[in-house]
Amino acid sequence: MSDATKTTNLTVAQQLREVHWYQKPRWRKLGALLALGLLMSMVTGVQGTHKDIFYAIRENFSDGSVAVWLGIALVVWAVREFASAPFTSSARKVKGTLVTPLGAVGRLWSTERWVRWTVIAGFAAILVWGPMGLSRFWQTVLVDQIAIYLLVAVGLNVVIGWAGMLDLGFIAFFAIGAYSAAFWTGALPVQPPVVLNNFLVIPLAVITCLIAGVLLGAPTLRLRGDYLAIVTLGFHEIVYLAAKNLGDVTGGTSGVKVERWHIDLGFWSYEWNVVDQMPFYWLLLAFIGIVVFLFIRLEHSKVGRAWTAIREDEIAAASTGVDTVRYKLMAFAIGASTSGVAGVAYASKVGYINSENFVILLSILVLSYVIFGGMGSIPGVLFGAAFLVWLPEFLRDFVDPKDRHMYLGALLVVMMIYRPQGVIPSRRRQRELQMAEAGTGGADATGPAPGRQS
Amino acid sequence: MSLNELWDYMVLGVVLGCLYAVIAIGYTLVYGVLQLLNFAHSEVFMFGGFGGLIALTAWVPVASPSGLQSVVYVAVGILAGAGLGGAVAFGLEKVAYRPLRRHNAPRLVFLITAIGASFFLYNIAGKLFGRSSMSMPTMYENKTVVTIFGASLNVTQLLIVFSAVAMMVGLDYVVNRTKLGSGIRAVAQDPEVASLMGVNIDKVVSRTFVIGGLLGGAAGFLFGLNSKVVYTMGFLPGITAFAAAVLGGIGNVRGAMLGGMVLGMVETLTVFVWGDEWRYVAGFAVLVLVLMFRPTGLLGERLGRTA
Amino acid sequence: MLNKTIVKLAVPVAIGALALTGCGSGSDSGDGTYKIAFQGPLSGENVQLGENMENGIKLAIDEANASGDYDFKIEYVPVDDMGQPDKATAAAQKALDQDVIAVIGPAFSGAADTAAEFYKDAKVPAVSSSATRPDLTTKGYDTFFRAVPNDSAQGAGMAKYFKEATDAKTVVVVDDKTDYGVGLADVAEKALNDAGIKAIRQSAPQKTPDYSAAARKVTNTKADGMIYAGYYEDAGPFAKKLDEAGFKGVKISGDGSNDPSFVKLAGNAANGWKLTCPCTDPTQEEATKKFAADYEKEFKRAPGTYSAESYDVAKMLISEIDKLGDDVSREGLLKALKTVKYQGLTKEFTFDDKGEFQNQTIYLYQVKDGKIEYEGNIDDLSKS
Repeated sequence: MSDATKTTNLTVAQQLREVHWYQKPRWRKLGALLALGLLMSMVTGVQGTHKDIFYAIRENFSDGSVAVWLGIALVVWAVREFASAPFTSSARKVKGTLVTPLGAVGRLWSTERWVRWTVIAGFAAILVWGPMGLSRFWQTVLVDQIAIYLLVAVGLNVVIGWAGMLDLGFIAFFAIGAYSAAFWTGALPVQPPVVLNNFLVIPLAVITCLIAGVLLGAPTLRLRGDYLAIVTLGFHEIVYLAAKNLGDVTGGTSGVKVERWHIDLGFWSYEWNVVDQMPFYWLLLAFIGIVVFLFIRLEHSKVGRAWTAIREDEIAAASTGVDTVRYKLMAFAIGASTSGVAGVAYASKVGYINSENFVILLSILVLSYVIFGGMGSIPGVLFGAAFLVWLPEFLRDFVDPKDRHMYLGALLVVMMIYRPQGVIPSRRRQRELQMAEAGTGGADATGPAPGRQS
Repeated sequence: MSLNELWDYMVLGVVLGCLYAVIAIGYTLVYGVLQLLNFAHSEVFMFGGFGGLIALTAWVPVASPSGLQSVVYVAVGILAGAGLGGAVAFGLEKVAYRPLRRHNAPRLVFLITAIGASFFLYNIAGKLFGRSSMSMPTMYENKTVVTIFGASLNVTQLLIVFSAVAMMVGLDYVVNRTKLGSGIRAVAQDPEVASLMGVNIDKVVSRTFVIGGLLGGAAGFLFGLNSKVVYTMGFLPGITAFAAAVLGGIGNVRGAMLGGMVLGMVETLTVFVWGDEWRYVAGFAVLVLVLMFRPTGLLGERLGRTA
Repeated sequence: MLNKTIVKLAVPVAIGALALTGCGSGSDSGDGTYKIAFQGPLSGENVQLGENMENGIKLAIDEANASGDYDFKIEYVPVDDMGQPDKATAAAQKALDQDVIAVIGPAFSGAADTAAEFYKDAKVPAVSSSATRPDLTTKGYDTFFRAVPNDSAQGAGMAKYFKEATDAKTVVVVDDKTDYGVGLADVAEKALNDAGIKAIRQSAPQKTPDYSAAARKVTNTKADGMIYAGYYEDAGPFAKKLDEAGFKGVKISGDGSNDPSFVKLAGNAANGWKLTCPCTDPTQEEATKKFAADYEKEFKRAPGTYSAESYDVAKMLISEIDKLGDDVSREGLLKALKTVKYQGLTKEFTFDDKGEFQNQTIYLYQVKDGKIEYEGNIDDLSKS
């Protein structure tokens, strides 16, 4: 080997090892923060107009908000780089003072039975009577949106959180439930053989959705995760477009009026009044309570364990004698029927449905509720759905309502980066994620994403 | 319902299919290297439309240009669309996906991040550029140029077909014949081994996103030229292109091209036979049928093996 | 351990936060201040229409407050229903929580269908300047007023135009599969059949990425005319494609497309399109030029579809409140509206006993050289 090649080899190695000044962490952080500052100035800036595509950008630069945000970014960077010591130590101190009492409370909870029961009873009492103190607006939001989506999310949790199947078309079953309610109460342009009371529709809707779930599931369950996702998405689109285009059967986009909840036992009758939200709330709370109770029992039954086995390793589960197809179908059907019940509840509450209530965006949103809260964990899913449905309504008063979904999207991204297991993860799920991070196991039936950091 | 009419629609189907194919490549490339449904790719596409619009609003004079001017404007539009698309895809990977890869997060987490990013991106586009539809400035007189067996093609349609074919050929070359392409294929086959062999995975992933973004952005511009630009325009073509990628065999570049063509054709013929309202029903029905008989799509899965 | 504590803390905290937000709404309207709400799509897909209307209302209220003609102040309360029926209930409740005296809206028919019950129960007059689905006034919502001719009038007007002013034999009716489009197309189809013109029904759903195939389908029918029932956002690209496909017949569309943006989106392809509207265009008629100028000055954009109608409705409500004198109540206002006769910029407002708008006149416009030009009353045109 000649000297010349040796030196070139050396320079190549040097070049590879060399780090430009702008690649050093300090400057990269500055760049990232400045970019974030620029983005924030656009996020919080003025609304643009289609008359002048540059209007918003120009305004943001000329009214100084860009400068302010860049300044903030610069200050944050400078503090983090050059004066971070006092902050981290004080943060640690605050954390220290917080952890001890929290730990004590936790110990009390796990050792003392009366503490547990008092907390649960108090919590239940708040759930039942608390909303009476809300304004009528929040009551309406609570019933029309939060309670309904809680039911849907709990159902989706079975499919995705427990059985590990990615379903992007869950609202299709919700639609089927709602249209069943409309059909059997005689609201659709086509008349049913017998007109039924809303409550009697529930079992029918459950059966319809079970059948629909099995019909969709049977041919598609052998598909792997991502294929299943697009097929379920397609299923949703087909159901939605059928509802939309078959106007003579479903009422299409003009929609149909559905009777609200009512009971008539001959000697006693009660009708849920449209403007009084609390009776609706209690009814839905009862639904949610029953479903959650059943699902908690299910989770720890043989079925629940089979689902866990399938989710963690389908092949291993099958080889130890778990009938994977049967259990997967069961998950699909149970999830679907829960969503169907929610659909009946929705139609019988709002009193009006049209095809536009079941757009594909909702399926995607429900999925994010489940993952945000912590899939596989019922408290997590309940919290995720309640919080993410509540948030856009809440933001309405603080930001321009048009921008609400922008903040929602940003929240989802940030949340997934810093807390991928969700707000309240199930313990098992958390362990699966830790194993995945350590590279010793997959966290989904769909497997971990490859291409990880070398 | 004569044969002539059928031919007419088939030509329209090819034009639409070209657009879908170019977008579908973006999905499939990212899936190949990361096994990740990049849901936010539809917004990359949308930003491409805005990129072209922004550049042309700034440069095109009001008077109707012709000849060489038109060519320059269209080229600028495509480049600007591709540029903004690529930039958004690059930023997306850096901000939203790279931190997750560091944690080796499961795919569902990627999916939700992608959904969140998609929400954020299209809403911020609506905020910055207004929420009404806009159209590209007139750059040429959109008259019929060729007639193939009675089916006429106008300037826009020819432009779409030519640029799409050029992009697809170019991409095929990049994936199969260049160093970057072999890097992409290596990462797609086995990231760990690839990294042991000296492939810088971060770089390859980042560049894969950028390539997908460039194509998606250019398609966004062509799409805007064909109809309009609006902040919600990404969603439906995005989902269709995603279906096209799956139909062809996700992760497989040639599969994505084929899938896009098939779906474009199926949709257009559905309009011919039943009506526009059944367009997506037919598209998804075909997808489900194909997947039932070929669970990994028309051409099978792997980027590494078949492309 | 930490996670368990988080479970226990997070849920009550969330409930608490929910409770707190609930307590914020004050219902005290103060002395001499009345609240008028606008319910419409202030976010979501149809935000542009909502914005047009909101700006018109804001302008009317600002003018009234600044004029000094009234011894009370009007406060504007926007409530957002995204144009969706299921969000409309909460939106209506929000308006009611704020103790409004009257509501302008709901803007969309589906949303009106669910919200009207809430307004009926609270006896709040709800005057919609854009919900045109015919059956809304037949459902017994006795506080609902429609300050605009319904779809029946417009569909019939289009059919009348084809019968009287053209010698069309077949007409294609294209709907955009929205609530509005299907309703209008149904009426137009029926009216055409009644007039002895063959109607062919087709659909080109809103937000279709590529209208080439749909346009080709319309052209291939070789019909003499075409009615597009939909909004301008999609009428623009559709017109473009129709032009490319070489459709030669008479093209007509409704108030949903009657917007300058339509011309901008369609470019040269818009030329020759006829547009009907129950409205007189604020930029066309003398009396309303000032409104258009004020609007442009205030919001830096030209008034759009329904801006002038919403402005009129707001002005009408304010003048009725004024007429009630010291005894202002929802019931009083409701009663006054039943017999109101108010001359606005766009038309004279009177309602029948069901709250239906009484003056069912439709006006015709035509796009000429990239401008929407006023042609006149459709009845007058047809006779000539």
